[in-house]
Amino acid sequence: MNGVRVTPARRRRVYTIWTVWFVTLLAWLAGGVGAQTAPAIDADPTMVKGAPTAPVTIVEFSDYQ
Amino acid sequence: MKEYDGRVRLVFKDLPLPSHALARPAHEAARCAGALGRYWPYHDKLFAAQPDFQRADLVRYATDLGLPREAFERCLDERRFASSVEADVAQARALGVRSTPTFFINGRPLVGAQPVENFRGVIDDALRTTR
Repeated sequence: MNGVRVTPARRRRVYTIWTVWFVTLLAWLAGGVGAQTAPAIDADPTMVKGAPTAPVTIVEFSDYQ
Repeated sequence: MKEYDGRVRLVFKDLPLPSHALARPAHEAARCAGALGRYWPYHDKLFAAQPDFQRADLVRYATDLGLPREAFERCLDERRFASSVEADVAQARALGVRSTPTFFINGRPLVGAQPVENFRGVIDDALRTTR
C-alpha cells in the first residue's frame, strides 16, 4: 500500500536484530543487578573463617591501626 | 560468629590507611603469619596490640605464637605480600570503600563500627533471602 514490500528475508532480518537487541538488554540488566547486590570479591583462603558452604559471607575491609 | 556457626563466613581484606604509617607492614606481617599457618591468631594479636607495630614488635608477636623467627623475618623483610595487600587496597578503592571498617554482608555494605544488633539485622535478612 505504501510501497514497502515485506519480504520473508526482510522479516527474518528484523526478527534477528530484535532478538539480538533483546538478549543484549537482558544480559546487561542481569550483570547490573548482580553487581549491585553482590560485588565479586576474591578471598585469600588463609584469611577466611567459617564454613565455605555458609549462605552468608561477610567481607570486612579493615585497618590494624 | 559462634551464634551463626555454619551459616556465616568471614573474609578479611587488608585496607591499611595512608594516615597510619605502620599499618601496612602490620598487614604484610599478618599475611606472613598466614603463610606460616597462624593467620588468625596473629591477626587477633595485632588488634590487641595496636598501635605497637614497629618491626621488633611484629617479630615478637610472631615468635610469641611459636612461628619460626627466621622464616617470618625473611618474609617481612622481602615484603613478600606487599602486592597482595596492594591488591586488596585497589579492590577497596574500586568498590568505593573510603573508611575502615567497611563490611559487605552478601554484598550489602555496612560502614563503620556498628552495634552488634545492626549486624544481626543484616545477617538475619540475608539468611531469610537465601532460604
